[in-house]
Amino acid sequence: MLTRDRQSRPDRAFPTFITLVVLGILLMTFHVRLEGGGVVDVLRTGTQAVISPLQRGVAYVVTPIVEAAEGLGDIAGIREENRALKAALEESQAQLIAVQDQLARLDLFEALYGLDELEGDLGRTVANVIGRPDPLDAGLIIDRGTSHGIAVGQPVIDTNGFVVGSVSSVTSVSATIVPITGSREALAVLVGSQIGRLTSQVGSPEMVLEIPDAKEPVLAGARVLTSAQSVLFPAGFPVGEVLEDAALVTSAVTTTVLPYVDIDTLRIVVVLAWPSDPVSASGQDEIQAEGTTTTLGETTTTGEGTTTTGGGG
Amino acid sequence: MKLRTPALVFLILVAAVVIQTTLFGTFRLITPDVVLLVSILLALTRIKPELVLAITFAAGLMVDLIGSSLLGLRAIVFMSAAYIALRTRERADIGRIATGLWAGGVTLIGVVLLLLLGTLFGQSTILGEHVFSRLFTVPLANMLLALLIAPVLVRIVDQDPAALRY
Repeated sequence: MLTRDRQSRPDRAFPTFITLVVLGILLMTFHVRLEGGGVVDVLRTGTQAVISPLQRGVAYVVTPIVEAAEGLGDIAGIREENRALKAALEESQAQLIAVQDQLARLDLFEALYGLDELEGDLGRTVANVIGRPDPLDAGLIIDRGTSHGIAVGQPVIDTNGFVVGSVSSVTSVSATIVPITGSREALAVLVGSQIGRLTSQVGSPEMVLEIPDAKEPVLAGARVLTSAQSVLFPAGFPVGEVLEDAALVTSAVTTTVLPYVDIDTLRIVVVLAWPSDPVSASGQDEIQAEGTTTTLGETTTTGEGTTTTGGGG
Repeated sequence: MKLRTPALVFLILVAAVVIQTTLFGTFRLITPDVVLLVSILLALTRIKPELVLAITFAAGLMVDLIGSSLLGLRAIVFMSAAYIALRTRERADIGRIATGLWAGGVTLIGVVLLLLLGTLFGQSTILGEHVFSRLFTVPLANMLLALLIAPVLVRIVDQDPAALRY
């Protein structure tokens, strides 16, 4: 065996190991207690501010190369996809004409009844996905930050308007997004006329839909939209599609939902400036989250779900 | 340890973090954990073991700060992987393939530890949709990458062109 001539010194590795494990546990406890804010937030923002220019530079060079390599590797698939997309485009154009007709009728009725929109158009910031923190971290890093109007908690959609996730941390030039499939917060959704709760599952792209006070069964293929009861997303954004029929079981329905967005293929996302008044929204002491009640400084349990004050995630 | 070594190690770790979060963040199939791999391979250098542990702890902390998960989680995991690597590094000295297998094995332990700690601390971002496939693809990719970069990295850090010439 060709062992290398490493210097023989008194081995202090074990005491160092124990010391660092204790320090790590203290840091984790500290982070949980601070709920991700305070010093941790400052440290995180500072590190990301230093690293993000390097990430942007490397992503600028690497992304076109990776896309070209992926394109070359999948050239046969691209031809097939092109044919399918042309067919889908024709179908969509026909649907678009029908929708434009309906929109014109809607405008007419709104004018007749003097209806105004309660909320104006949401501010939208288009951002490039420049990477991921880690192969085991579901988060996405984008190249827009506070200098572009992005704030923690803002909802994120893709270019088709499908729900992606929300901003978890932000620096002046970058932000990290946690997708709904990697979030432990439940999302209030609308399926038909019923309001339910969507939660992520470990190791699966599918999400679990629970409708506690269901009035009718849910059928496969039903569209799942964000609900007006949601404090995380504005209402009416498509989330996914119900995978299996689900019957009523003691006035509740449980089934699985496949989100429309494939996180792995995302290159561009859109961050929504919502709520329109984040200062007053964040100033609320008690936030009625979907299925959870998070009260700053204390822990409570609701009938719908568990409550945590722990940080992270 | 020569004066240039700390600067070299720092540069290598920053480069690993940037490459990990950008280049390997865009690949879907090849998913190595470069920072974890560098943490493991530092055990093969002549840097003092306690310093290797401190460096890998700092590297893990840097990844924690860039990501969205709990601060200190990867710091403990990367440092523990480095500790295991320090205790078993003689097995990696046999040859290039042994180095690769050793790095892959230690990575597997690191990934399992990360998932265990992540589960205990309720880190749902770590337990995402690819968690079970990544449990195998990350150690496999690290094993292949170690075959390529282990000797070069050790030679650069130790500034010894004869290092790891099997």
